[in-house]
Amino acid sequence: MRAPVSPQLRPLLDRRLVVVSGKGGTGKTTLVATLALAAADRGLRVAIVETGRRQQIPALFEVAGPGGDYEGIRLPEGPWAMRMEPYAALAEYLQLQLRIPGLVTRLLDQAAFHALLDAAPGWRELITLGKVWHLEQARDRGEPVWDLLIIDAPATGHGLTFLDVPGVVIQAVRAGPLRRHVEWVEAMVQDAERTLLLPITLPEELPVRETLELVERARGEVGIAVDRIVVNGVVDEPLRPPLPDLAERLAALPPGGAPDPRALVHAFVHRRERAALHREAIETLTHALDLPLTLLPSLESGVLGVGPLRSLGRALFAAEART
Amino acid sequence: MKDPEGVLGTHRVVACVGSGGVGKTTLAAALALGAARRGQRALVLTIDPARRLADAMGVELGSEPTRLSAPVLRELGVRDGSLAAMMLDTKRTFDELVMRFARDDATRDRIFANPIYQHVSDALAGSSEYSAMEKVDELVSGGEYDVVVLDTPPSQHALDFLEAPERLVGLIDSRIARHLLHPAMSAGRVGLRLFQRGTQPLFRVLEKISGMGFLEDLSEFLLLFEEMSEGFRGRADHVRELLFGGATAFVVASGPGAGQVDQALAMAQRLGDMGASVEGLILNRMRRWPDGADGSSVASARPGEWVGLAEALAAGGLGEADARRATDGARRCAESYLLQVKRDAETTAPIVRLARTLDGFVRTVPELPRDVHDLVALGQIEAQLFRPEGSGDAPAGAGDRT
Repeated sequence: MRAPVSPQLRPLLDRRLVVVSGKGGTGKTTLVATLALAAADRGLRVAIVETGRRQQIPALFEVAGPGGDYEGIRLPEGPWAMRMEPYAALAEYLQLQLRIPGLVTRLLDQAAFHALLDAAPGWRELITLGKVWHLEQARDRGEPVWDLLIIDAPATGHGLTFLDVPGVVIQAVRAGPLRRHVEWVEAMVQDAERTLLLPITLPEELPVRETLELVERARGEVGIAVDRIVVNGVVDEPLRPPLPDLAERLAALPPGGAPDPRALVHAFVHRRERAALHREAIETLTHALDLPLTLLPSLESGVLGVGPLRSLGRALFAAEART
Repeated sequence: MKDPEGVLGTHRVVACVGSGGVGKTTLAAALALGAARRGQRALVLTIDPARRLADAMGVELGSEPTRLSAPVLRELGVRDGSLAAMMLDTKRTFDELVMRFARDDATRDRIFANPIYQHVSDALAGSSEYSAMEKVDELVSGGEYDVVVLDTPPSQHALDFLEAPERLVGLIDSRIARHLLHPAMSAGRVGLRLFQRGTQPLFRVLEKISGMGFLEDLSEFLLLFEEMSEGFRGRADHVRELLFGGATAFVVASGPGAGQVDQALAMAQRLGDMGASVEGLILNRMRRWPDGADGSSVASARPGEWVGLAEALAAGGLGEADARRATDGARRCAESYLLQVKRDAETTAPIVRLARTLDGFVRTVPELPRDVHDLVALGQIEAQLFRPEGSGDAPAGAGDRT
């Protein structure tokens, strides 16, 4: 069941930009927090960029109160946490481009401009990637301000829309500063030295199918590097080596009493079937992709707080060492 | 007290909403199956479902509904009613809308050839959601079905589809479009430079960044779309009436995950604010003990009783070492399951309370050990959804905790 070894597998944190992508409920944000904490613990200057409507990372680090949002805040453990606000990023970009005080505010205050932006596709994704590029480029006395940027990519039903946008804009915009800037962004996305797409999935049928589609498009149209898949919430066998007829033996015992054999049968069979389902999904991934899998265990309680994030990080990097 | 049967019987559309991964598609199919079993002509309209479930139901992706065959319906216990399923291909549907609303073939061809349309039609704010709502409207108006169960689109923000028609019309109607368009309209030509350079700082700004060609393409795109705005606006009004005029019941689905519960609560809130009618809540993939199994016995069992279990297994023919190992394994599974049952009831308690406040139904569907992709499993889900509230062992007292 072990995934094939890939000789050129680089350490996960040895990049400038890691885009964590997965459906809602896969543990994407938890993985982002885990990676950021591990990076900060190794002394890296790391920034987390969230793209959802609500900032979730500070709460995972048990930071109460306002989380800094677009301006960002420094978490006690070191990582910087910010949430993308497309309108704020757009204002920042226009200000940098136009350098005419007041004009940008007037523009963004226009109801008509807002109506256009509300309906227009793609610009939110584009400005988000643009801001990430800006952060990646930022220098302080010649040194990068950030060693590592971790993006919590939007959980869309359409997989890669977020990363597709630069390619689309390059086709639609023929010339001018916008096109030049988008080319820079696309170059960053496609640079395998700098950038990694890290898909996270659950070991179930639908998420696995979507992950296969994601990887295909990442390698095709988008051209972003993928070097492993994180599989979260893997339930393992209840007994190793298995006792094939245990459920029947438990069911044969007189019901009732404590412990009630009927409850034991239910929990045992449920666990065994979940484990079998997960094994099949993992085999599907292994056969369909020539990528190593990083398997994370199913956690008994929801991860919240720095301690649990660190143990998850240990599990993650132990799994990485095994791949 | 409301129940799923009554809600399906009194609405033309039942929209199943919830965040990703809560099993909306399966629940929508099970609701439609329940309606069909109760004699209704039901249609489930779904977007990108699990392929194996679709295979089991014998339907394919397309823009027309497929009726389930008589043998399949019999297998599902449907006698008087009927069940059809449809998987919407939203990309094609938007092109169809353009074909319908374009004034003539030349306009249609210009739209299809416009570089902006080519690149953005898939992504145009809510265009797939808009297409889905169009289709629902069409199917409801057709009168072929008593009830259409809608599995809502997997958009980033799960309720965006409700506002998609308005936003699309907003784009076409917006004053920026008028600024861009009117000089050209008075000139009676398309493709002209559509704004007065140098007079309007707004366009100077945009032009400076985007380059000339892009704004020309955008102007043409908006101009061509404005010709169709009457068609879009008319349909958008229709769709709004359908969604918020009492014909549509919303059912909010959630899994036991804390994030899913938060999202479900936020969605119910937002639906209420929009004037939609939330008639029920479904808790899917809940861990719970089956009827008759005493889960609390796992927690109350004393060490001696676990030893007794090992002895009973040994007496049943297992070797002593295996019997001990089996007992440890069964105990680990049961204790872990017990913890999950308790946690699921706690995380979902706010939803049970909300259902009481809204006077809607609440139903609990247990997590099946396997994915739902055959008709037997779908029938099991249906049975859970339609059994009366409080029967069996729904999470006891989950709603009474404060």
